[in-house]
Amino acid sequence: MRIVKLKQDRLNSFLEAVSTDSELWGPVKKGADKHRFKIVDNPAEFDLDYTRTILPPKKIFLPPRFNMFKAMPTAYEEETMDPTKKILFGVHPCDIHGILIMDQFYTQTYNDPYYIRSRENTIILGHSCWPDEHCLCHSTGTDVANEGYDLFFTALNDEYLVWIGSSKGDDLVRIVPELFNEDLSDRDIQNYIRWREDRSKAFKAEINFKAMPDFMELKYRDAVWENLSHACLACGSCSNVCPTCTCYNVNDKPRLSENASDIARCWDACTLESYSEVAGGENFRESRSERLKLYYTHKLQAFISKYGKPACVGCGRCAATCPVGINVKTVAGALDGEEVDAFWSRYATEVTK
Amino acid sequence: MNNGKPKIGIYELTGCAGDALLIVDCEMELLDIFTAADIQSFAMAKSDNIDGELDVALVEGSVTTEKEISELKDIRERAKIVVAFGNCAAHGGIQARFDDKEWQENLKKVYGNQKFTHTKPVRSKPIDEFVKVDFYLPGCPVSKEQFLHFLTRMLKGNPPEHYPTPVCVTCKYNENDCLLNNGKLCLGPLTADGCGSVCPNHNIPCFGCWGPVENANAIAELHLLKEKGFSVEEIKKRMANFAGTKLADAIKQL
Ligand code: SF4
Ligand code: SF4
Ligand code: SF4
Ligand code: SF4
Repeated sequence: MRIVKLKQDRLNSFLEAVSTDSELWGPVKKGADKHRFKIVDNPAEFDLDYTRTILPPKKIFLPPRFNMFKAMPTAYEEETMDPTKKILFGVHPCDIHGILIMDQFYTQTYNDPYYIRSRENTIILGHSCWPDEHCLCHSTGTDVANEGYDLFFTALNDEYLVWIGSSKGDDLVRIVPELFNEDLSDRDIQNYIRWREDRSKAFKAEINFKAMPDFMELKYRDAVWENLSHACLACGSCSNVCPTCTCYNVNDKPRLSENASDIARCWDACTLESYSEVAGGENFRESRSERLKLYYTHKLQAFISKYGKPACVGCGRCAATCPVGINVKTVAGALDGEEVDAFWSRYATEVTK
Repeated sequence: MNNGKPKIGIYELTGCAGDALLIVDCEMELLDIFTAADIQSFAMAKSDNIDGELDVALVEGSVTTEKEISELKDIRERAKIVVAFGNCAAHGGIQARFDDKEWQENLKKVYGNQKFTHTKPVRSKPIDEFVKVDFYLPGCPVSKEQFLHFLTRMLKGNPPEHYPTPVCVTCKYNENDCLLNNGKLCLGPLTADGCGSVCPNHNIPCFGCWGPVENANAIAELHLLKEKGFSVEEIKKRMANFAGTKLADAIKQL
């Protein structure tokens, strides 16, 4: 893999030069201290000093709601084939791993044409980051990305070390080669290694992911699930914000003035009561505890058994989002027998008193 | 059916008429609605109203007088399908937030010893306390999108979908920073979705105007808000605002 250097004050010139025929997406401030990926006209709008966006990049490939096609009695017409070229800048390693998991999921048995077309038209430009108290990517092994990006920018002092991860990324560099510097010195490499060591030490949260498949098995009937379920508001947010949650629902929306229906797709969440409701009104996961078990089986067990890695990329969004403190860290902690400090555990103590 | 078109009646009991107004406000779709359906009765929009047999009756507003009870029963007898249209009809509306005792006191405060001649007032109740309701479409007022989707499915002979998810779902779709996490009294997790999360989109906590979502975990949110420093009194008051009679008593017992 080739590595080049870019002065940080040349970044915006680079982004402007390569995005003349694409939408340019990246992290922009939302409210006082949150961020989201947004299309910008000017890369100066980006705020690269961010930890995580509220929603992960999946919203760019598959928006929360969209019409897939229009169905008529004997034909159908594609609606949303989003061929817009996009450059997604500022993606952190956890989210790159999230995209890799989505790539795998949406192409494993059936190809999802909506995802694939949008994904193929998107260039991923990664960016280095620094962990906060919710980041778990060190434990999930997703703190560094070795694939899944076209370029990856690591900020060191006033420069970027830029990893070229694909021929598309190489093409971008070639658009404005004069902005880059090819001479990587020993000092640059030393600086990078030191930075990586410092970053590794900066993680405040750790989980024993390796043990989780066994814990899930052993504790499938543990009281922890009831304890969690007392507090869960069944709001679905933990799924909506998770970069590896891929479930969706499909609805028919008949048109009033035509003999046709729009076939609409929206994100679904296994923590919602309606998720497991089937025709006839039966629901095979009526209780919140059953649904939380499903969510955490996906994150901590099933994916590990099937693909050898957890379906959690450690982004910390569930921790930053769940109003009652149910998240991969507190759940794994409780399964591991730790005393957990979260609303749900305090509430469980009160309920079971 | 009339020329194959379903006969529809739109009726207003006690409410702000916002739901009926929303239909009139569907300007782009009005022609299609009147083409697809035979609108037999719609006091807000037309004068030649006929009160006969109906395929579908949309009933807005809650029941607050004895006269409305008999009107409602008459509608039920004439209609194959009755829809509780809007939050007042579905849950009782804001006017249903008082229990019997409070309602008696309020009535006394406002009307004193006045005699009721035209009809007798009763404590506000949702329409399903008096007649069987086939479908519910909550909202304050109902959303255009949900209404048109609902109506289209009805007109095409498909049962309408119900909306079992809370406001938080759309709020997250809209990528809002969670107000509840920021210490605000947001009722999004307890409230039926449909408004497009308009309040949180504008940084205002949800006050529950769509009415309660099915199986809302109100007790957990009450404890959560208590931990965030709100008084039980204040939380219950907010929760009761749009929860209607069915939940009012349950909330009192929380
Ligand atoms: S489970 Fe939580 S930490 Fe893991 S990927 Fe999903 S949102 Fe991120
Ligand atoms: S675990 Fe938390 S975020 Fe997930 S549905 Fe329950 S309350 Fe909502
Ligand atoms: S702001 Fe309110 S509606 Fe939005 S996610 Fe938070 S609790 Fe739910
Ligand atoms: S109060 Fe809640 S349900 Fe009503 S419009 Fe606002 S966010 Fe929607």
